[in-house]
This record gives sequence, C-alpha cells and structure tokens, in this order.
Amino acid sequence: MKDQIGGNQKRARFQALCQSLRPDLLRFAFWLSRDRALAEDVVQETMLRAWKAQDSLLDEAAAKPWFLTIIRREYARSFERKRFVTVDVDELVAREEPMLAAAEEQNLAEMRAALFKLPDEYREPLVLQVLMGYSTAEIARELDLSGAAVLTRLFRARKQLRALCGEDTSMDPQE
Amino acid sequence: MMDCAHYRRSMLADPHDPDPSLREHRESCHDCTVFSERLLRFESRLERALRVAVPSEVARQPDVVPPPNIVVPLRSPAYRKGWLAMAASVLMALVVAGGLWLSAPGPSLAADVVTHMSEEPQAWRRTDVPVQSSRLEDVLRDSHLRLATGAGTGIVSYANSCRFRGHQVPHLVIQTEAGPVTVMVLVHERSPKPVRFDEQGYRGVIVPVAGHGSLAVLTRGPATDIKTIEEIARRVLDSIVWTG
Repeated sequence: MKDQIGGNQKRARFQALCQSLRPDLLRFAFWLSRDRALAEDVVQETMLRAWKAQDSLLDEAAAKPWFLTIIRREYARSFERKRFVTVDVDELVAREEPMLAAAEEQNLAEMRAALFKLPDEYREPLVLQVLMGYSTAEIARELDLSGAAVLTRLFRARKQLRALCGEDTSMDPQE
Repeated sequence: MMDCAHYRRSMLADPHDPDPSLREHRESCHDCTVFSERLLRFESRLERALRVAVPSEVARQPDVVPPPNIVVPLRSPAYRKGWLAMAASVLMALVVAGGLWLSAPGPSLAADVVTHMSEEPQAWRRTDVPVQSSRLEDVLRDSHLRLATGAGTGIVSYANSCRFRGHQVPHLVIQTEAGPVTVMVLVHERSPKPVRFDEQGYRGVIVPVAGHGSLAVLTRGPATDIKTIEEIARRVLDSIVWTG
C-alpha cells in the first residue's frame, strides 16, 4: 500500500515535470528536426525513455538538459530509422509554413525560414544558446565539442543568418 | 587592447557575453556601439522567432507513464461482491456519461476551433492566388474527400492539415464574396444539430455532416452576418465529394 502511494506520487511528479517542460522540448525538437510531426514523435518517445530511466535523474533542477540530451539521441535514432538522404529546404519551409509564419510579424516568418536554411551544425548550438539559455561550456558538453569550436559555430551561425535575413552585414568581421 | 574585429567576432558568438573587456571596448568605440545595438535588435528578433507557438492541444502532456499495477488484496467473498457491485455501478456511470459525451458535441468545440484560428493568422490573407492543387489534394486525401471543381464556393487560398483534438484535419481558407472564410472538416467531431457561435472576434457555424462528423465554417470580425456564413457552409457542403 505504502509502495503504491509512493509509486503514484512519483508518477504524478514525473507527469507534472513533463508537462512543465513539454513546450520548450517541443520547440527544441522542432528546430532540430524542422518537422512538427517528427518533433511530436521524438518528444513523446523521449518522455517514455525518460520515465524508464528516471532513476538516473538525480536532481530535478537538471531535468531540462537531461531531457534535451535524450531528445538529441532520440532524434538521431529516428534519423537512422528513416534514413533521410537529402533535405529539400524549400519543401520543408512550405510544409511547415503554418508553424513558421504563425507570428503576426512578417519579419519573424522570414527569420524562421532563414533558420531552416542554416546547416544543422550551426542551428543546433544557436538554438541551445538562444532558446534554451545554455552557456558556451554547456553547449560544448552537450555537443561534445571544444569551447572554441562552439564559439566558431555560433559566430558563423549568426553571420549566415544575418546574411540570409538581408541584414546590413557591412560591419560584420571576416573570419 | 581589444580590436574591433575581435570585439565583433565575440559579440556574434555571444551577444550577451558579460566579459568586462568587451564592455570596455564598446564604451570606447562608436562604431562597435552601433554594431552592438543593431546586433541586439537582431538577437531580440531571433529569440522571438525561435519561440514558435506550440498549439495548446500539442502542449498538453499526454499520459506517457504506464499505470501502476494495482494489486487488489484478497478479501472475503462478501467484500468482493460489494466491491464488484460498486465497480459495476461506476462502470455503468462511465458508460452513460461516455455515451452522453459521444452523442453531443463537446461544449468547447467552437472554442477549440476559435483557439486554433489564433495559431494560423496568416491564413486569413485576402488574396486571389489559389493554393497549389497538389497541396489541396494532399490535405483532403487523408480525410477521404475532395472538392468538386466549379462548385462556386470561391477559390481555396490556403490548405493545411492541422492537428486538432488528436486528429489531423483539413483547414482551408476560401475566398468568398464575404471575404476569407475558414473551413475545418471535422470528421471526428459529431454534432447532432447546427451550432452558431460568436467568440473572440470569430463568427461561425458548426454543422453536422451525416456519417462524416461535422464542418466548422467561420469568418473573422463582425462584418459578415450569420445567415451569410450558413449559406457559405451549405455551398461548401454541397461541393464536398466524399471518397471514403
């Protein structure tokens, strides 16, 4: 009986944790995959894996990076399963138009379309930094890169993004 | 002493880097101050762009956790009989409640349709450019329908397959004489009778479709009267050809 109550409490707590993080996890998975349906599948699968592995989460405050790591692995798995060979960015942009253009402002929609065109190795650290609030060291740890490599990717990400968005890049430094 | 190229490279890598040497350089260099201001404006836009809206029905966490195994302790036959009787009455109540829930449209169906509208505001554009016919066909195919050509409903300017109450449903915008009208084909939502609604700036109707759930048709703003919307809904219904 005591075990059952403990189990129910654990379950309710895990559900609440998932609920609070879900919107950000969906956003992260969306920017990783650039595909709403795939993002939903990846997050759902992530939750199941997280539930099974919850004993490895020692500190609830560290839940977000823990989930993000599982999402990245899960996304990699789905990628292997589906064996995508090429990605047509224009097709992706057209398919996800509602998500990209859900904002009132046209320039946000343009920015989102530009984000779609960024290479994965630049988009991912940028999303971790801007959307998830990761420091350079945390990104380096998550992506298994050196701090210098992360900074180079972030620099290139913004530089390319600014050019794609038609920003005035005359003051931007050369590499 | 830091030079401008180094400063700008660092800022492009992390515009919020608190390094004091960056601040010192910025305060001493007019061009880099201008560069930073522009970059921070860009950064603010980037942050907002990344924070895509997550539809409420998707944001809601489904129950991913398997239910715990409930072990019913062994009791006397009399206790078990009582327990079974109670379980049966609960089951009966659930069946009755479930039946009622299934036979009537959810009280919030119209509200959910209206909420969904706020997620795709760009769809309401007034335009005379039709959506690609291949896209329209793709969107309609999964719901087993197509639109008859030359049905006089107006051009379809937007077609998307949207997640709504756990199902993919066609979301169309048709350009009519009354302006853009949104149509959602809700094959999984039964409605025993037509329902009119006027909520949060959207006015529309949900009409039952025999054997195919219901159809939501709505306009934005108060300009179109409900009878016109009902007439449009009737025309849309007439133009639908069910393929399955």
